[in-house]
Amino acid sequence: MYPLLELGPVRLSSGGLLLIIAVLIGTWLFERHARQRGGEQLVELAGRCASVALLGALVGARLWYGMFSWDVYGRSPGLFLAFRIGDFAWPGALAGGALAGYLWCRHFGISAVELADAAALALPIAQVVASIGLLLSGEALGAPTVLPWAVYLSGVARHPTQLYFAAAALVSRALLAWGARSAARPGMLTAFYLGFQGIAMLLIEALRVDSLVVAGGIRVAQVSGLLLLLAALWWQRSHVVAAPS
Amino acid sequence: MEKVAILSHTDNNRRWTGGLHGARDILEYMPIIHLRRTWDAFLITTVVLGSAFIWMTRATPGGTVVAPPAAAATLPAPFTNHPAPDFTLTTIDGTRVRLSDLRGQVVLINIWATWCPPCRAEMPVIQAAYERFHSRGFTVLAVNQQEDATTIQAYLRENGLTFPALLDGAAEVGVAYQARALPSSFFVDRRGIIRAIYRGPMSRGVIDGTIEHLVAETP
Repeated sequence: MYPLLELGPVRLSSGGLLLIIAVLIGTWLFERHARQRGGEQLVELAGRCASVALLGALVGARLWYGMFSWDVYGRSPGLFLAFRIGDFAWPGALAGGALAGYLWCRHFGISAVELADAAALALPIAQVVASIGLLLSGEALGAPTVLPWAVYLSGVARHPTQLYFAAAALVSRALLAWGARSAARPGMLTAFYLGFQGIAMLLIEALRVDSLVVAGGIRVAQVSGLLLLLAALWWQRSHVVAAPS
Repeated sequence: MEKVAILSHTDNNRRWTGGLHGARDILEYMPIIHLRRTWDAFLITTVVLGSAFIWMTRATPGGTVVAPPAAAATLPAPFTNHPAPDFTLTTIDGTRVRLSDLRGQVVLINIWATWCPPCRAEMPVIQAAYERFHSRGFTVLAVNQQEDATTIQAYLRENGLTFPALLDGAAEVGVAYQARALPSSFFVDRRGIIRAIYRGPMSRGVIDGTIEHLVAETP
């Protein structure tokens, strides 16, 4: 666990630093894929859309975290604006970013599908970097385990859930790159990305000890994951699967 | 449309006789099943299995009970698996507190100051953990660095913080624990061994996840 990188007198939050690197790499890849898929016209839109989506992700991540930690946030609402890297929730970032991006596209009368496909190709690599940041700062703690690949965090040998998330992101990235080579119909990469995210959240979140929960201990991220998976399957149903004649 | 296209590839006079003869037969007959109906069954199965999985893997309080590891060292030092260096300090209301008197409890030593923004931002989370785990043998020692009791008292009252705040006027504990960065946190188990050290602001998950495990250990 190395939450602070001490470079002489300067101390940097490792999780924060890797999150910033993840955002920079993600934005760069997003524009790169936009150029590959839609040329200069799409890359120009991607550049403008990225900052709006990032802002939406930032707001969504903190609102989501605060909403599901209401016992603390309700008493100290100042935390909504506090500079705390740990108090961001990924499902909130995904929802906030997607909503902001979609509204921006709608406002300017642009089809969001091509941009979403480019984002689906860019996001997994950003997630890998951000997950390594989580491991360094010792967040997203896994349950104790005696498996040989356990990592020693917060006094206990635990499931490296951060690395499981990173591995899932790498697998999804490989499959998306493979899918992008064939003439996939617009929206297919987005649907696949969201569905795969859903499966990863549903399965890996089960191994975390610090999940945001609602009544009965139900993990919010698992419910979000199942909904994402169902949305992706529904998209597949309405766009690809043949209707009975 | 697609169904018609698929059927046109097959010989209409052939009827399935019960056996499958290779991948070609599977590919030819499979699409004849109404795909959308199959897909709907798949969707419903996903809903059912997914919901069951969410329910089975829901977070249950208590944590996994694991035997505490043997301490690697006997020399008190501000490092993981070493006995926590002992100290005696005065709280803001004048009570003297000695760390070794708290043996048997899980202690979070949080080295902080009111002028440090990340320290302030994690206080509500520490308070929530204090309230949640206090009855299970957990306490907090908020070791303030070189501020006067009036400043600290006003800050604690304003923010509804009820855990003990200690005055480290000469930063003796800060130095002994090598707290170069604020906040710095040390989780001490029931035997008085430092089990986790965190330099910098902790998320709620880190605080709760660590305490949950340490209070589950038998002394």
